[in-house]
Amino acid sequence: MGLNAETLDELRGEPGWLHDRRQSALATYERLPAPSKTDEEWRRTDVSRFDLGQYSKLEHLNGQKLVLPSALPKGVILKPLRQAAKDHPDLVEPRLFSLVHADRDRFTALHAAFFTGGTFLYVPDGVVIDQPIIGQHFSHEGGTSVLPHTLIVAGKNSRFHYLDEYVAEQEDEAGYRSGSTEIFLGDGAEVGYVAVQKWGRNVWHFADQRAELQKDSSLKLFNVTLGGKFSKTRVEASLVGQGANAELKAIYFASGDQFFDFHTLQDHRVGNTRSDLLFKGALQDTARTVYAGLIRIEKGAARSDAYQANRNLVLSDHAKATSIPMLEIDNNDVRCTHGATVGPVDPEHLFYLRSRGIPETTAKRMLIQGFFGAVLERIPFEHARKLVEAELEARIG
Amino acid sequence: MADFEIKDLRASVEGRQILKGVSLDISKGEVHAVMGPNGSGKSTLSHTLMGHPGYTVDGGEVLFKGKNILELEPDERARLGMFLAFQYPVVVPGISMTNFLRTAINAKRGYDGKDKSKQISPKEFRSMLKGELEVLHMDDSFLPRYINDGFSGGEKKRAEILQMAMLQPEIAILDETDSGLDIDSIKFVAEAVNRMRGPDLGILIITHYTRVLEFIKPDFVHVLVDGKFVLSGGPEVADRLEKTGYSEWVTEEEPKEVA
Repeated sequence: MGLNAETLDELRGEPGWLHDRRQSALATYERLPAPSKTDEEWRRTDVSRFDLGQYSKLEHLNGQKLVLPSALPKGVILKPLRQAAKDHPDLVEPRLFSLVHADRDRFTALHAAFFTGGTFLYVPDGVVIDQPIIGQHFSHEGGTSVLPHTLIVAGKNSRFHYLDEYVAEQEDEAGYRSGSTEIFLGDGAEVGYVAVQKWGRNVWHFADQRAELQKDSSLKLFNVTLGGKFSKTRVEASLVGQGANAELKAIYFASGDQFFDFHTLQDHRVGNTRSDLLFKGALQDTARTVYAGLIRIEKGAARSDAYQANRNLVLSDHAKATSIPMLEIDNNDVRCTHGATVGPVDPEHLFYLRSRGIPETTAKRMLIQGFFGAVLERIPFEHARKLVEAELEARIG
Repeated sequence: MADFEIKDLRASVEGRQILKGVSLDISKGEVHAVMGPNGSGKSTLSHTLMGHPGYTVDGGEVLFKGKNILELEPDERARLGMFLAFQYPVVVPGISMTNFLRTAINAKRGYDGKDKSKQISPKEFRSMLKGELEVLHMDDSFLPRYINDGFSGGEKKRAEILQMAMLQPEIAILDETDSGLDIDSIKFVAEAVNRMRGPDLGILIITHYTRVLEFIKPDFVHVLVDGKFVLSGGPEVADRLEKTGYSEWVTEEEPKEVA
């Protein structure tokens, strides 16, 4: 039962190298043990009730809906990833799963073995795309696996924005979902990337978003996590070229009995690099979140700046946020700060608004919106900003 | 009968009794000043009247429009017509002054998100704001900013008075609005308050210093020491305090003697 070698046969017509890779990932999946509670990363994150056997049907065999700008500059390649694997093996083969490794854990292996939908975007050197590119990944029914993978290659000094939107047609769907992304930024590239996860409320979601930044490149990544009963997301940036700058931001809103887990990595491999991370979340009802973030500054990475903050607004006595910031610094000539807060709405703020006649529920809603307000402004392009604002407003109620 | 009657109000903070029976009648059209040294219970009085959750009412009642407002939520008190200008207005990140002001006005008008006819129109809102900003010598650059965020001490206090002007209360409590202000700011604030003075508004000014009372002339002055009024009278009480300060109570008193 579940996804297996027979399922792989459904994915016929792919190049041999991809088929081999899928088989190898499946073997890795079968070889790796299930995450154990003794493993620090999984200590608070319980996947024991995840039953792959229930979700043996794959959706998205033919990719997803792409909303294309009216005209793409010459040389830009934008197509479903599986098609691109066929058409552009020279671009796809060396990069696919080279940032998000299939053997990292059982779930990355499963994703690498069975990914279906997803996008390949290649922007040649020096090309600027003004309008955002939007990939929408829909799940059409419950009981399925929807495993899209996005691969983005930004040429030297290219500049563009990309949005991945993960959308459920039914709010109460159950299923197995992922939404992983690999982004390669060439020298001087500037990329805005936004991922909005709004799968249904009974979904298991596992995602790995990882970027590699060459010299003087700049990434603005913004993750929005709203859906799923279980959502585990890794957001990681490797700064491998001097002058690289990664801004990693996220917001999450967890309600009901949702569980969200975030793992982040700011990996400064060379000096004169900068990373700035801010994850902000609000929790209500009996929701739980876990944030664990690592800043790693390697020995040669002098004069690097790294900032990390995780802020949690806890709106109910039964909700719980755990925050674990970590540092691993092998060079003294760096500037580094990290911090975490977990707390309720400030009663002085609430009193101030109420003293002006604003009813308690309205005041609380304003304060939640205000909590997210400043970080929403950091969403790198307007289309995504509007989408997220509307989505949040609907959920905050 | 006065419009706003404080009757034998007793209140405590963290189990310590601060107000030990305060009674005061305020009618619309009147300006009352409550003066007192540090620790006399001035801010407990203002916070208790507005319903701050950190203050516990131990006894007494406050009657306004036929209701004991001590039984109402803070927002209900405000919608009934009370206003508190805070001594220390808080910074609230993420909410713009404009959004805050508009939401507060709409709440006062009974707009609950449904009946749009109760909403203030953008045009009316703008013209109201424009007039009040002029009186307070403020420009509109602070409107898109977050509530009190990055405001100087003087700007915060002026913003409080702006809110008061926009919300048009019937009973306004000004809690140490003069503290930390330079003389120009005091004048602007006083001018705005004096403009609102009239038969529809009762004002309670809480202050440590007499200076603000040179600009906003009170009809009545009450001296609060150790949670009780020790002296009430006309403006001449302020003159007396100007000369002698609180020494006649603070030196003589150990709280128990006064009580």
